[in-house]
Amino acid sequence: MTTEPYRFDELMIDAMARELSGEVLVSSVTAFGALAGLVAKAFYAPDLALLATPESGMDVDFLPSLSLGQFFILAQRGIALGMEEVFDAIFLDKFRIWINPAQIDQRGSVNISTIGPWANPKVALVGSRGIPEDTSHLSKLCYYLLDHNPRTVVAAVDFRSGAGNTAEREQRLGRIGAPSVLVTNLGVFDFQGAHGQMQIRQLHPGVDLTAVESATGFHLTAASPVATTPEPSSEVVAFIRQHDPLGLRHMEMQKGSGAAKHQDQAWMDERSLLEAPSAGEGAL
Amino acid sequence: MNKLVLLDDMAGQIPDGATVAIGGSSISRKPMAMVRALARSGVKDLRLIVDVGGPDVDLLIGVGAVREVLYAFVGFEFLGLAPHFRAARQNQSVAFQEWTEYTIMAGLDATIKRIPFIPTHAGLATDVLSVNPAFRVIADPFGGDDVVAIPPLSPDFALIHANYADRAGNGVILGDSHVDVLCAKAAKTTFLSCEQVLSSKDLQNLGAGIQILRIHTAGVIEAPWGAHPTIMAPGYRLDLGAMKDYLHQASDPDLWLNYTQEVIGQDHETYVKHQGGALALKQRLGVSST
Repeated sequence: MTTEPYRFDELMIDAMARELSGEVLVSSVTAFGALAGLVAKAFYAPDLALLATPESGMDVDFLPSLSLGQFFILAQRGIALGMEEVFDAIFLDKFRIWINPAQIDQRGSVNISTIGPWANPKVALVGSRGIPEDTSHLSKLCYYLLDHNPRTVVAAVDFRSGAGNTAEREQRLGRIGAPSVLVTNLGVFDFQGAHGQMQIRQLHPGVDLTAVESATGFHLTAASPVATTPEPSSEVVAFIRQHDPLGLRHMEMQKGSGAAKHQDQAWMDERSLLEAPSAGEGAL
Repeated sequence: MNKLVLLDDMAGQIPDGATVAIGGSSISRKPMAMVRALARSGVKDLRLIVDVGGPDVDLLIGVGAVREVLYAFVGFEFLGLAPHFRAARQNQSVAFQEWTEYTIMAGLDATIKRIPFIPTHAGLATDVLSVNPAFRVIADPFGGDDVVAIPPLSPDFALIHANYADRAGNGVILGDSHVDVLCAKAAKTTFLSCEQVLSSKDLQNLGAGIQILRIHTAGVIEAPWGAHPTIMAPGYRLDLGAMKDYLHQASDPDLWLNYTQEVIGQDHETYVKHQGGALALKQRLGVSST
């Protein structure tokens, strides 16, 4: 296997994969989340029960696609699940998901609902979806951001779609559903600071403390010592590239016309991916 | 038993002010043919209940048919935010209640079970509880921690699009089932559209695949391509071009007015023709291995 240099998306996905463990359902909503699950199962946590879609298709051989994963489930006669099954797994703490919020704050509260006040939004986003269920039931909450900046990593979120380490959480829920980890394009963060504050656990190779501080909307403390995020092995890098033939991880990182062109190309290429007999065999 | 009804006759039965639950999830298996028929009917002041909404909610807001939306999510996934939903949230032209995925399910379930509420921990310590007046935090009568009481959600109508149905109103959903079965059971009147009507004998052969029972169904509509432009596994994938066209037309009032007349305003057969016809759609969107 040739050793090609890895890119930061591959480093992030590998760091995300290392956070998953045990025999739990892992949901696939975004390309980064789906690839983190696939890498984790292949290299670090073989007992994971990956879902091919946000809600179904346990143990199906799948790849990230635009049309979600339902075609893989049907073609392979995979284990279908329903929403009741998924929420029972959440209530039982047998579920993990990588959540990509619009904002996360120093206490680990997250927002996907609104920029500005909820009743009078500056930008209305999508609504809290199932995040409130996750932050009231799971023992591990995983967040990632592709663009760590002072507007995404903020002192206080505009709306708490997910509960961070606040006094209200402590009173209502104790430690259940508390934020565990944030992986960004700059580093890996936990919430082990004073009063459950976000702190720097790892910096990615080549990223210094000053860069993280200036990209963060509040004063960050660092765990001591701050580690460097391990580089992904060449096997992991090759695996990620093989398992994302549509390049949806790159599409997720793009904005504007670049993203639109990528969508068109991915959509054209998707058909042969969905029609391949087995998703893992490198259809394209 | 024959519950077959024409698409536009179905829409004509839904009066102004009705509460309508819509199945599917974001860009997957939305009952778009029924949604477009509802938009064409000129109905006003609808109250929509949707777990994960997308072009369904957005289109009905866009034609001015909606008074209030109860939702956990409304968006177009990788294609971004829902334009009319976003505008209506920001200019407050429509009322909104933000729920969550499970609490929508629990509210429907409370109606099905005819109980006053369902308790859960979902949403505790989040701002959803602060902005949504429907919920109550109550003491556990057995002495444990406080719980959130989720009140019943009682749709007058549910709109569900399935792969197959028979004339009696049994339905088969082959892809992800989302919260459609809960919607079908909770609504007073459930309309089931499908890609294809099968004989009851052929449908019965699908056995455990039957999820929608005829005891919950009031009307059946045969509407091939009825989820277009959303995903309908295994028959067809997302029509990216049609979705982008929608987003483009929705971005400008004049374009949108034209779109409501030329695309939404046409009957379903004409709509399918405008999308290139069944053959071209099959070539563009069909997935052969499934």
